[in-house]
Amino acid sequence: MARTARFTARLDLVIFGACVLLSLIATVLPANLREPVASALRRTMVAPLMRLQQGAERWRAAYLASERIELQRDTLALAASRVPTLETENDRLRKLLGLGSKLQWGFIPAEALQGRGRAEDFTVTLSAGSRAGVRERSLVVAPEGVVGVVQTVDPTLSLAILFAHPDFRVSAMSADGSAFGIVQPHVSTTSTTQEPAFLRSERYLLEMRGVPFRATMKPGSVVYSSGLGGIYPKGVPVGVVLAEIRTTEAWARTYLLRPAVNPAELTSVMILTPQRAAAGLVNVWSDAGVVDSATKGIVAAGDSLARKSAAAEAAARRAAIDSAARLIADSLRRDTTGTARDTVARPRVTAPAAALPRDTSPAAIAARDSVARARVRRARRDSIAKARAVDSAAQSVPGAVRPPTRPPATGARP
Amino acid sequence: MNWSATVRTIILCAVLILLHYTLRPLLAWRASADFLIIALLVASVRVRPGVAAIFGFVLGLASDSLALGAFGAGALAMTLIGFSWSRLKAVFFADHVLLNGFFLFLGKWAYEIVMNLVERRMHGAELLMQILVWSSLSAAVTAVAGVLALMLLRPVLETRGT
Repeated sequence: MARTARFTARLDLVIFGACVLLSLIATVLPANLREPVASALRRTMVAPLMRLQQGAERWRAAYLASERIELQRDTLALAASRVPTLETENDRLRKLLGLGSKLQWGFIPAEALQGRGRAEDFTVTLSAGSRAGVRERSLVVAPEGVVGVVQTVDPTLSLAILFAHPDFRVSAMSADGSAFGIVQPHVSTTSTTQEPAFLRSERYLLEMRGVPFRATMKPGSVVYSSGLGGIYPKGVPVGVVLAEIRTTEAWARTYLLRPAVNPAELTSVMILTPQRAAAGLVNVWSDAGVVDSATKGIVAAGDSLARKSAAAEAAARRAAIDSAARLIADSLRRDTTGTARDTVARPRVTAPAAALPRDTSPAAIAARDSVARARVRRARRDSIAKARAVDSAAQSVPGAVRPPTRPPATGARP
Repeated sequence: MNWSATVRTIILCAVLILLHYTLRPLLAWRASADFLIIALLVASVRVRPGVAAIFGFVLGLASDSLALGAFGAGALAMTLIGFSWSRLKAVFFADHVLLNGFFLFLGKWAYEIVMNLVERRMHGAELLMQILVWSSLSAAVTAVAGVLALMLLRPVLETRGT
């Protein structure tokens, strides 16, 4: 028994020694001999294990890919959810930049920090104060139009009342200047209850009171500040006419306005300095007003031309009748006196071209229109030249204060 | 060791070897568990030292066939480990799981040291860092995985060979 045990122990040692020897030989084998052995092992014993490993690695790759795809999907979903907000903000900032380039100088860009408290419904905190040049009663505007007026100024912050504040008033007019009135918040509790209920529920609407009864405004008409009163310069959009409100006032009309600015979208605003407001803002927002007034001017010019043409026609007709009457009278005189033929040269009365029957062909109408347009253009050139002459005369006056051609250096650019 | 225990040991070693080539690539940890070492331990304590040396040699050679840079090193290390475990089982190995874990740690660490030294891919501080940090970490993970495997498979491994 002991002999057997010794034998097995020696056998184990021999086997161990042989394995160690083979391992050492394997470690020192040259590459050309080592590779066939390894290749044979890979093709036979290790091959099924390698297939298992490949499958496992494929599973892992698929899992990682699905995880990566899920992450990408989440990222895209997050980005997509932010796109509308970014687009809105981008659009608003572009508009603000456009407004800044039109204003050129005299404005202070500020962030509108809207409070959500009960007492802050109609006020807004602005991120610019007296250090930036903000003064009390400075006009706050947005690319869409009037926002409000600065009421309190701190060194770094300022508070402004919105157009929906009960104290807000602005003198306004229609785009063509035919209707004037006072715009104020539409307070449904104090107004008559004749308007529909859905209008009474609108807390941010405005109303334009005191419009003369003869002046009417259509829904959709833009209402601008008129510049009367001193705070608001002329030409800043205030709102759009929604409908006329029936009131007890018989001598004036009241219109309901949708504000030009949506308070919920108020993020960035411009605070106008008093100097800039005093310099006027007619050419900043008044594109629509200019178009309206230009259309109106063209129509008026056409009417005046038509009136002049009619007067010329009538004059020519009268001249023709007079000359015919004179001819008839002369011939009658010659017949009754029997005198010889009058050889005295007499100025020949010829009817002007305008006295001829009016040509109504399309070509003639187009020609007449082009002549009328040329007259309008000439009159406009003359008026611009006159204005420039007056302007140059004003510039030549020593000591005259003129607005800077570039915006001030302290935060005047957005 | 009777036939039943032999069959169970063979099945268990096969499962562990399969885990080495399936679970390890799935986890893809830098310091991952070495199920071949666990299989070698499970087999070594149940067979004669010569058989353990042969089993270690075969396992090492199989793993070396995929790492040509150190061909033979794995076989040498596993032969040494298998033979040592099989010789020491009567002296040190009790049926204690933590003791098994400790020897697993030592065996795996020794395997890593032999592999790193024979492979001669790293030198100096890098080799020291590999042996002291990553090799020991891998040995610890292998020990933990081995302890878990032994605890789970205790009902299967009830019969212990002499």
